[in-house]
Amino acid sequence: MADDRLIQINPFRAGWHTISMRARNGLKRENKGTYMANGRRDRAWTRAKFHMGLIIAALASVLLFPALFVTAYAAENALSEADKQCLACHSTEGLEKKLANGDTLSLHVRGEVFANSVHKAIGCAGCHADVDLKTHPGSVKNTAKNAREHSIARVAICRQCHEDAFKQHEQSVHAARVKEGNLIAPVCTGCHGSHSVTPKTAYETCVGCHAAALAAHQKWLPNASVHHEVVSCAACHAPAALRMVDLRLYDRVAKVWLSEKEGQPEFEKLARSADADGKGLDPMELRNLVRQINRNGNGNGAPPWKTLRGRIELRTNVEAHRLSGKDAAIRGCDNCHRSGAEPFQNVTVSITGSDGRPIRYDAQKEVLTSALSIESLPEFYAIGGTRSKLLDVLLLLAVLGGAGGTIGHWTLRKLSGRYLKKSESAHAKPGDQGRPSPGNHPDNGAR
Amino acid sequence: MQKIYVHPLPVRIWHWTNAFGFVALIVTGLQIRYVDLISLMSFKAAVNLHNWVGFVLIGNFFVWLLFYLFSDKIKVYHPELSPMKHFRGSLRQLQYYGYGIFKGDPNPHHVSAYHKFNPLQSVTYQIVMLLLVPLQFFTGILLWDLKHFSGAVEFFGGVRVVDTVHVLLFIFFVAYIFGHAYLGSLGHTPTAHFKAMFTGYEEVETEVERGEPAQTLT
Repeated sequence: MADDRLIQINPFRAGWHTISMRARNGLKRENKGTYMANGRRDRAWTRAKFHMGLIIAALASVLLFPALFVTAYAAENALSEADKQCLACHSTEGLEKKLANGDTLSLHVRGEVFANSVHKAIGCAGCHADVDLKTHPGSVKNTAKNAREHSIARVAICRQCHEDAFKQHEQSVHAARVKEGNLIAPVCTGCHGSHSVTPKTAYETCVGCHAAALAAHQKWLPNASVHHEVVSCAACHAPAALRMVDLRLYDRVAKVWLSEKEGQPEFEKLARSADADGKGLDPMELRNLVRQINRNGNGNGAPPWKTLRGRIELRTNVEAHRLSGKDAAIRGCDNCHRSGAEPFQNVTVSITGSDGRPIRYDAQKEVLTSALSIESLPEFYAIGGTRSKLLDVLLLLAVLGGAGGTIGHWTLRKLSGRYLKKSESAHAKPGDQGRPSPGNHPDNGAR
Repeated sequence: MQKIYVHPLPVRIWHWTNAFGFVALIVTGLQIRYVDLISLMSFKAAVNLHNWVGFVLIGNFFVWLLFYLFSDKIKVYHPELSPMKHFRGSLRQLQYYGYGIFKGDPNPHHVSAYHKFNPLQSVTYQIVMLLLVPLQFFTGILLWDLKHFSGAVEFFGGVRVVDTVHVLLFIFFVAYIFGHAYLGSLGHTPTAHFKAMFTGYEEVETEVERGEPAQTLT
């Protein structure tokens, strides 16, 4: 979440640059005009425009810059009083302690980041129950010799609540590397962060360490970039896990994932009303849902810019912790590119919730293969795996029609040829040249 | 019988490369789409072969295009500008395939060096070569590198739309190959047209042999 906040700052910076650049460009253009016209009024106008630009830019910076702090403050304000008490000291930048080997352990916590994490609900004490406020600071005995040992020791705290994920992780290549003494193999905090804990299935989490992953896949995997977009890393690197397809709502124009507005959830209500029989969205219901979502706020008749983008994920994220190395990972294309493949047996339609977590609704697996999907799912297709039954029927008809038509025509030619020969021999007169047999006329010069 | 040179060497090279290439594309295409039903080769091998053959055929298409663009033989593709004439000729040809051929009637079309296609062929080949084949190559290229051409893929409506067009054309070409090969066997002998496509020379009856004034469709 901290990263998101930083990204939010950037448009503001871009805006500032835009304003100042426009002011400069305006000055440049107007200067040229002034010299050409050689008029004082023009120069005065140019100066006025430049100054106006500066004033607008200054006003914008004065008004907008504090807005960031207001947002951060609002997030922090949502924390409990006890947590605010902790943050009174721990939000101090540079707060740290030295471990036995001289490693520095940061004790700084960004309140707004923690407020946006999934652990906000359990608060500081949820993980730091060993801290007694009466004697803190000074009561916490950190016996870890170095920062790495500290991170590994803290896994026990995560395990208290996430035993199932811990067990899966224990069988992973990451856990194996940790046991081997690898110093960069991740423990829980390596992927999830310490105070910014959020569910991590995003591609960026993995490539944060495995930066060369795409290049390595491009050596053997056709359309590797697309595979990395539509197949989660765990879908292949957790080979024992069960997979599914998640169809997430996406805004084609703004090029962002659609998300629910805080306090006004609509998606589930719409999905529920589209799903008439309650058995999950069938192809027609999904098409209606996509149409309905596009009607809401898109205006009737406008081209659909809210679409569904599919991604193969694990059915439970717990299993995503049992990650394997490349040797055990799934490499066979037909794991997905065959009809009835396991990942396509479970389908959900989802939207990003206001807290960043997906809100899912079940769909029937037929939504992936129906002819109607060309409208509702134009952007998700796995060759062979989600092929349209209608096209299969058309191909069968083409083969039957092609083969049947030629065999039928050939048979008719042979039969009519025999008939003609018989009737000719029956009516043959001396000197009669006869007629050529069907299809073999000497002048059949073209197909 | 008279031999006339109707298939110049570049056309013959293009034709047979195209023919074998199309069969290879159909076979690998079937393997890619029906990996659960067909096991001629692995999915990945089929994809790689499909891509390579596709690019060879794209190059081959330009052999055909450039030859005809820079040769007077392009006249064989000149369309019949009178719709009525074209319609009558097509009807006569259809009548022949659907009825006359069973009575032993002669083919109403007579081949010459600059007039080798009957009206049905000329319209079919123009649609196939100038619209369907380029569209198949285009959609194939988009599917070959979806990320690189993501803008175009999105413009045309998404990967499912592009793939559906590619598969619909594939279905058409499957049916087309049957019809093309069969109609090719309707020469004065079943192999006459196939031989001509290798040698370049079609054997045709002279007007004297036909015992009738030459029929022209133009």
